[in-house]
Amino acid sequence: MSTVTPTQQSAARTTFVSAGFGLSFIGLLKSETIKLWSLRSTYWTYSLVIVASIGIAVLMSFALSATAGFDPATGAAMPMDDAQIFVIASTSGLVLGQLIVAVLGVLSISGEYSSGMIKSTLTAVPNRLAALWAKVSVLFVFTFLIGLVSVVGSFLVAIPRLGAEDITASLFDVDVLLPLLGNVLFLALIAVFAVGIGAIVRSSAGGIATALGILLLLPTVVGLFSLAVEWVNDIVPLLFTVAGSEMVYPNTMESWQAFLVVLAWVAVSLGVAALLLKRRDA
Amino acid sequence: MIQAQSLTKHYGSKTAVDAVDFTVQPGKVTGFLGPNGAGKSTTMRMIVGLDRPSAGTVIVNGKPYHEHKAPLREVGVLLDAKAVHTGRSAYNHLRAMAATHNIPTSRVNEVINLTGLESVARKRVGGFSLGMGQRLGIAAALLGDPATLILDEPVNGLDPEGVQWVRKLTRQLAAEGRTVLLSSHLMSEMALTADHIIVLGRGRVIADASVADIISSAAQNTVRVRTPHTAALATLLAQPDVTIINIEQDVLEISGLTVNEIGDRAAAAQISLHELSAVSASLEDAYMKLTQNEVEYRTGDASSHTEAEVSR
Repeated sequence: MSTVTPTQQSAARTTFVSAGFGLSFIGLLKSETIKLWSLRSTYWTYSLVIVASIGIAVLMSFALSATAGFDPATGAAMPMDDAQIFVIASTSGLVLGQLIVAVLGVLSISGEYSSGMIKSTLTAVPNRLAALWAKVSVLFVFTFLIGLVSVVGSFLVAIPRLGAEDITASLFDVDVLLPLLGNVLFLALIAVFAVGIGAIVRSSAGGIATALGILLLLPTVVGLFSLAVEWVNDIVPLLFTVAGSEMVYPNTMESWQAFLVVLAWVAVSLGVAALLLKRRDA
Repeated sequence: MIQAQSLTKHYGSKTAVDAVDFTVQPGKVTGFLGPNGAGKSTTMRMIVGLDRPSAGTVIVNGKPYHEHKAPLREVGVLLDAKAVHTGRSAYNHLRAMAATHNIPTSRVNEVINLTGLESVARKRVGGFSLGMGQRLGIAAALLGDPATLILDEPVNGLDPEGVQWVRKLTRQLAAEGRTVLLSSHLMSEMALTADHIIVLGRGRVIADASVADIISSAAQNTVRVRTPHTAALATLLAQPDVTIINIEQDVLEISGLTVNEIGDRAAAAQISLHELSAVSASLEDAYMKLTQNEVEYRTGDASSHTEAEVSR
């Protein structure tokens, strides 16, 4: 039963698709791109990431120009060069963006479960994992691009106020560009991490709570414990958000070590998600 | 062609599908019947790999579903109308499905026209009526021009015109040599649409035969007789293999005798008849008889099992 030749064409039926179309990863990437951009929530969330980033950059440029070179708390001189000031102004808003893309990442798959779309997705792609990798790839690429737009836009809006205080830096200065790209990379990896959480939990509410819990709550809880238990201090750098920040501002470990910690979080999330997706009934 | 062998699915301690064997042949519409909870939907989900069988195998067009290189071209499936993201338009849903197989947008437009969704294709699916949702599900099933179609209650929520359209469509798809597996609770519709029937009850195949065979094996033809002399006629016709039911004051329903036999004997005994008509058994009668012990969710009154099975 591989080929069927329509013997008669009635008015009710139009022509059939000719042979030769099959599953391909490129096709899955196209499909996931269509899925991502055919939902209003995508426009809302990505717009919010950009707006929050740029808005906070404006505020930060004022705050930083007023206190440049001085610690606002003590008034003591602070060793902060112009490049660092620009990086802080350009990336402060991404912290909000991190929470927003985490929600988007969870919803990109939990929304399929809550609506039943997952059944359509998995009947089209019975090898399930390819569908997950396609979704992850598409979300990574677009979140990276949106993050890039956010930090570059933030950098540009910070120029006038900081420039007035003779604080200047070039976007293509390595000390500016690398930290910006590092932040954008972490933003995109958070989205990917959240897809894994969404695929594991399979519910929007539970997935968002879990993802935000790991991003927001876990550092606080571990921080509290570290006050009471000495060795807990040692695992603080292993927290997802702490490692993400140390990718850009190395403190207790090297940038590349922090990057590996971040990748480990993402790998565990996606690994468990892949295992469960393959095993569970849809 | 769909071939199931000892196909079994357990959910915890409950057995939803219990070692079923069946073959769904190409070129025919095969009706998949059974009370709620009989395992029809679970079986359909296992055919397309959404549920993993606990034991046994099912192959479709010669291979397990997941081994096909272009599954949407092999099998088109409508499992329920709610397999679509409500925030997406029908057009974008179909486009996303088509993209996985590099099916051109022209085919998306074809299935939209074919299912009569032109006017709502750009609207978000969340606002669709049940009937429009069904049409979209059928459009998605047809997208890959598949050799096998699996439709779980496709007429549910459709208007009479839509029901008729599904009947014609499935008949035509089967006539083109495709395999069509169709479930429905509407027996009269199934009798018009299907060539072959598989009946499930509590996870097992309780009948697998042509529509005509199902009806003749499970339900008896009866004769309806209206006469003022019901008692006399009943006495006259009484014999071991004849069943006589007095369904109204002056109406008897008789099985085991033909119209001719009853008419001749009544004439010989000079009993006047005001009506004498053959009542042929319907698929519904046969289905009720086949499944009367298999109903999982029965309404309180045992005599009203009709409602339990047909309503949903």
